[in-house]
Order: sequence, then C-alpha cells, then structure tokens
Amino acid sequence: MPQPTTAARAVFNALPRVAPRQCAQQCPRLMSTTRSAPTKRPTAPNPARFQSQPYPPLVQRRFKFNTVEEAKSRYRSGPFSWKAGLLFIVTGAGLVWYFENEKDRMQRKRIADANKGVGRPKVGGPFELIDQDGNKVTDQDLKGRYSLVYFGFTHCPDICPEELDKMARMFDLVEQQRPGVMTPLFVTCDPARDGPKEMKDYLAEFHPKFIGLTGTYEQIKAMCKAYRVYFSTPSEVKPGQDYLVDHSIYFYLMDPEGDFVEALGRQHSPDQAAKVILDHMKEWRGPLKKS
Amino acid sequence: MGLLPNLNLFGPASEADKRATEVRSGAVAPSRAERARCWEARDAYFACLDASGIVDAVKDDKKAAAACGAESGRFEKDCAAQWVTYFKKWRVQDIQKKARLKELEAQGASKMDVQSDFAARK
Repeated sequence: MPQPTTAARAVFNALPRVAPRQCAQQCPRLMSTTRSAPTKRPTAPNPARFQSQPYPPLVQRRFKFNTVEEAKSRYRSGPFSWKAGLLFIVTGAGLVWYFENEKDRMQRKRIADANKGVGRPKVGGPFELIDQDGNKVTDQDLKGRYSLVYFGFTHCPDICPEELDKMARMFDLVEQQRPGVMTPLFVTCDPARDGPKEMKDYLAEFHPKFIGLTGTYEQIKAMCKAYRVYFSTPSEVKPGQDYLVDHSIYFYLMDPEGDFVEALGRQHSPDQAAKVILDHMKEWRGPLKKS
Repeated sequence: MGLLPNLNLFGPASEADKRATEVRSGAVAPSRAERARCWEARDAYFACLDASGIVDAVKDDKKAAAACGAESGRFEKDCAAQWVTYFKKWRVQDIQKKARLKELEAQGASKMDVQSDFAARK
C-alpha cells in the first residue's frame, strides 16, 4: 500500500491527462492531508444497472372501428373529411384574426403608455381664466379635444407675432384634415396690460378661431407655473410705462384628457408641426368631440 | 402729417398722430401693419449699421447717429421706444452668437437645426 503522499504525487503527475470533471472530483482529495485512504480509480458502473427493466405488457388495439362498414368507409375517405377540413379552416381563420387583433391592441397600448404615466413631464392642469369676450374658460371646457397652447403678450416685439402667424398656419393645416378637434389658445403673460379687449383686437389679426386667455396676475402666474412656462415682468414698472415680458416660447400640445403630449418649438415649420399633431391625433383612441 | 401719408388709414391726421405716439410710448399694442412698418424700419437701420460696421448702437450711439441718422429717426418713429432698445440689444447678441457659431463650426462642431433670425419659416 503506497504512502498517501506518493499516491497524491502520482495523481498529481497524471493530472494534465485527466478530464476537468474528474479533477473536480479528485482535487479535494489532493488537498486533503488527513485522509489516509488511497485514491481509487473510478470504478466501472455496476453491470446490474444495465439489466433491462421488465416493461408492462403492451396492449394494442389494431382497429378502433366497431363494424366492418365503418372501417371500409374510413378506408375510402382516408383521414380527411369535409368536417375536418372545415374545422381546420375555421380554427385557422380564428387564430389569424385573434393574433392580428392582439398585435394591434398591443401596439395601441404601447403608444398610450408612452404618452402617459411614468417618465412624462407633468405639464398642464386645472385653471380658470377669461377669454377675449369676457367668458369664463376652465380646463374642463377643453376636455374632449386637443388643444394647442401658446404663451405670449400683445406688446411682444418679434417672436410672439411670428409664432402666432405660424400657429395660425399650423391650425389651418390641422383643420383641413381633422376639422374641429383642436382648440388654439393664446395665454397672455402680461395680464396687467392685456385685458379681454386688447386680446380681442390683437388676436383678430391672426385667426378668427384663436381663443385668448387672460385673468388676474395670480391666475396667470398659476397657469404659467402649471405649464412650466417661465415669464418675468420687470419689477418697479411705473403706471403707463412701457416694458417687455420675458417668457418661454413653446407650443404645448395637450390631448383630449388635458395631458401634455408634446412641445413644439421654433425649429418646427408649420407643416412639420401640423404633421406631428396629426400623427398624435391618429394614435388617439379615446373619445373625441367634434364641433 | 405730410411725412406719413399712409397713416391716414386711421382717420384724420391728428388721430393717426395720436395713435403713433401711443404705439411709441407703449400705451397700445401695435397692429399688424404697425409691426410690419416697425420691422421694415428696423431692417433698414440694421442694414445701415452693417454697412457702417457698427455692432452696438447703444454704446456707439454718437457714431451710429452720425452714420445712420435718417434710418435711426425712422426706426424710432415707427417702433415703440422699448422695442428700439430691445432690437438694438438683440442685434449685439445675435452678432455675437453668429460669430461664436462660426468659431465653433471652424472647430468642427456639428450644426443643429435651430433658427435664430427673424425670417418666418415657410
């Protein structure tokens, strides 16, 4: 009987030739110093395991027909019958219809999820302002239609009038395709000077359908905050003194539930913007009012 | 007023004169026609400043007055006083921005689709 150390060395020498799996079994033994038993070569499996198991007796019915006529009929028509064919067609058509339907539904759901819920900026919200005719307008009045919201002021030197002209073209393009599903809104950031009358005169030169919203300074401040619009009226303005208002310049597209969809900026031409809006409208599956 | 025959659209000359004063002081918001006239005067004034090589018309006001006195007069008459200052400041910033963009482009920066001039997009 060899000494454990010599036996270990013998295995160690043989190591490069043994398969890794064998090593995994044998290596712990190599490390072991307490174990005195000599390493055994892997033994052959017990030949008893190869002995075949007795199978249960095989019961086989050669024919599943009860009468000879039945068997003859089956032999003539083969495995196909008009019933089987019909069943095949109906099942196939049903599956195709189901999968197509399900694919469309998942597509719509994905778009709706992308436009709502987590990860979307929370823009918009409840408000109460008055339009250019002095009527009260709230966020509830806009529900059921898309709305395009733009912030500005009537004394604006260059950007607002240009953007309002752009908005008018954009609105006309959308109206051509989907009449009555979008409300164009212009909200003033300068409520001190832009009353309903000033808004009416100003907007009449842009588009007859534009709705101009104004209110108290607090109402406008809340509205701008809800839409994440930055605006600053210069401090220490004496009565009658002229001033300009600094403000953000984006068109906010809001869906019929009052949720923010997309901001359109100076980089969009009226055609591009109208296309973006119309594409969003195509994806809308909820209820939509029409005037 | 003899200088402004087209302002007679608003009625008697005095009425038009009153309206023009109100626009200049910022008491009323300019109409579309008044805005167009103002922008036209602005563009003419800026073209003159460009030709004279003046960037900041607020800082170099004496030089600007000497070179573009007539244009400046029309600009100040047709635009609200606030707009005149705003446009002059805007011009300085725009020139700086364009120079900076040119500089960046020379350094190999890629251009983004951003509009900074007054021209409306078609």
